[in-house]
Amino acid sequence: MILAENLVKEFSRPRRVEGRMSGLRSFFSTQKITTRAVDDISLRIDDGEIVGYLGPNGAGKSTTIKMLTGILVPTSGRIEVEGIVPWKDRRTNARTIGAVFGQRTQLWTDLPLRESFDLIAKLYGLSPEDYRRSLDVFVDLLDMGPFLDTAVRSLSLGQRMRGDIVAAMLYRPPVLYLDEPTVGLDVVAKARIRDFIGEQNRSEGTTVLLTTHDISDIEQLARRVIIIDEGRILYDGGLDSLRARYAPFREIQVSAPEIPESLEIEALTLTTLVPAGEEMRATFRFDPAQIPAPAAIGRLTAALEITDLSSREPSVEDVIRRIYTDRGIEPPVEPAAAGPGAPGQR
Amino acid sequence: MSAPAQRLSAPQVRVALRASVGHAARSQFAFRASTWTGIVACVLQVILVHLVWTAVYGGRPDVAGVAQVDAVTYAVLGVLTTTLFQPFMFDSLLGRLRTGAIAFDVMRPVSAVPVALARQLGGTIAQLPAAVAALVVGLALGAIALPGSWASGLACLLSLVLGFAIALIVNFTVGLVGFWTLETGGAFLIYRMLAQFSSGALIPLWFMPDWLTGILTLLPFSAQVFVPLSIYVDRDPGWHTVQAIGLQALWIAILLALAALVWRRAIRRLVIFGG
Repeated sequence: MILAENLVKEFSRPRRVEGRMSGLRSFFSTQKITTRAVDDISLRIDDGEIVGYLGPNGAGKSTTIKMLTGILVPTSGRIEVEGIVPWKDRRTNARTIGAVFGQRTQLWTDLPLRESFDLIAKLYGLSPEDYRRSLDVFVDLLDMGPFLDTAVRSLSLGQRMRGDIVAAMLYRPPVLYLDEPTVGLDVVAKARIRDFIGEQNRSEGTTVLLTTHDISDIEQLARRVIIIDEGRILYDGGLDSLRARYAPFREIQVSAPEIPESLEIEALTLTTLVPAGEEMRATFRFDPAQIPAPAAIGRLTAALEITDLSSREPSVEDVIRRIYTDRGIEPPVEPAAAGPGAPGQR
Repeated sequence: MSAPAQRLSAPQVRVALRASVGHAARSQFAFRASTWTGIVACVLQVILVHLVWTAVYGGRPDVAGVAQVDAVTYAVLGVLTTTLFQPFMFDSLLGRLRTGAIAFDVMRPVSAVPVALARQLGGTIAQLPAAVAALVVGLALGAIALPGSWASGLACLLSLVLGFAIALIVNFTVGLVGFWTLETGGAFLIYRMLAQFSSGALIPLWFMPDWLTGILTLLPFSAQVFVPLSIYVDRDPGWHTVQAIGLQALWIAILLALAALVWRRAIRRLVIFGG
């Protein structure tokens, strides 16, 4: 279980002095600028959960993860991971967590991938049997046989990422932090890594905290998301309720030979209207709470000579884009009314 | 199935450190061309040093109270020890720092300090072929005389071990500069040059002006190379030998404390500013 209460992380750096001899004066200046990367975050992730941790660049995601791994010491607040306070007891914490920072590698570049695994197994005190068993399974699942004896330096990004994921899981930690594990990968490589993470979560009950900018990672792996921005939690709850809360509408796209711009149908809003070949294509939006989908379709077919029709829910990506862009325009959204599975709010 | 949340046992730590030594050594050997150039460079240095010091003496039996045979032996052994004591590591603490991999290294069940020292030891092991080749050439040239006495030989062995420990600790501490500057190429270059000169590996401290010798004996560098080698050529070891070795031990204690202090500040910096 991962538990964080009122977590705060402030960074302070010396203020640059302007004017003559600014370099020298900055050097001796004691003025500091303090920024809050993480501002009062509380969350609780139960054993076996996969939680998507989302936020725009600089929102404080990596800072949170670094505190959870024990690399960073929080300015204030409480953290416990599997009953251990990470920054106080890094050595003990080490074997309960695995971490992948997609932008970095923990592998040693000059030797074959296998050498890195051998070394990590020993650094984590694995017995040779346990190590061999784990490695065999992982090599098989991630199809790493062909490049196990290639120097890490010569691996492709996808291969290296698989190597890093295995390096983080070789000792079967109950908790896994994945910070952008699919960054820069092609669709096939992404799918492979997602499948693997999902599989490990199901078979081993591994708790996973996953940050990514690829919403489809989240859609395929996580049922719960935590969205943060400027160091604060904006939303903590299920993916479904996220959609219901921030985009409580559905869309119907219709094609017809003629669609007047002034068309008005009760309970439906025309959002886009574009010519498509001989025909016109329009998108209507409606709130399923106000009008059920069959009724909405009925009204449309009555009003227009429809040749084609499709209905869709707004994608999570649409929703998240809306959340990111809304900030600053509207007052900050009240942190998640979220249903069960959102014990973060207290 | 998951590993229990506990620290590693002492035997597990030993296995981890041994693996780190081996891994670091193999990392060096992975650069095969570099291994060969290292061997060639070391052998060449021995030959050149032998030539130059023989020429400097030009037939005189001794200069400034130092016998020719001692000066040559000292110079050749100086090349060997420097090669072993200051391995050029591609995969050092600094490398890990620059790529950010250090963040992973500080959250392992084994502390990053012994692992870094073990890796340095691995770097030294990777230099062994070069040192052995140079030793063979040195012996073939007749450039290495026997130790001054059997007691000198034994004392020199002990002193070499202590000197190596000092080199290890100082190299590690200097490597920590990277936590503040990230760019350490320059700092390291200056350090290596200074260390080589002040350790007496290039020119024995005997030949330096008194005031400089005075300063250099106060620095930990002379305890790395000069002390063990001057013990080697000493024909009449005695109380002063014991004193010199005692001073080395004292240096180890002081430098360890310093390294621990710098490491604590470095790691504090890391945990405050992030990996």
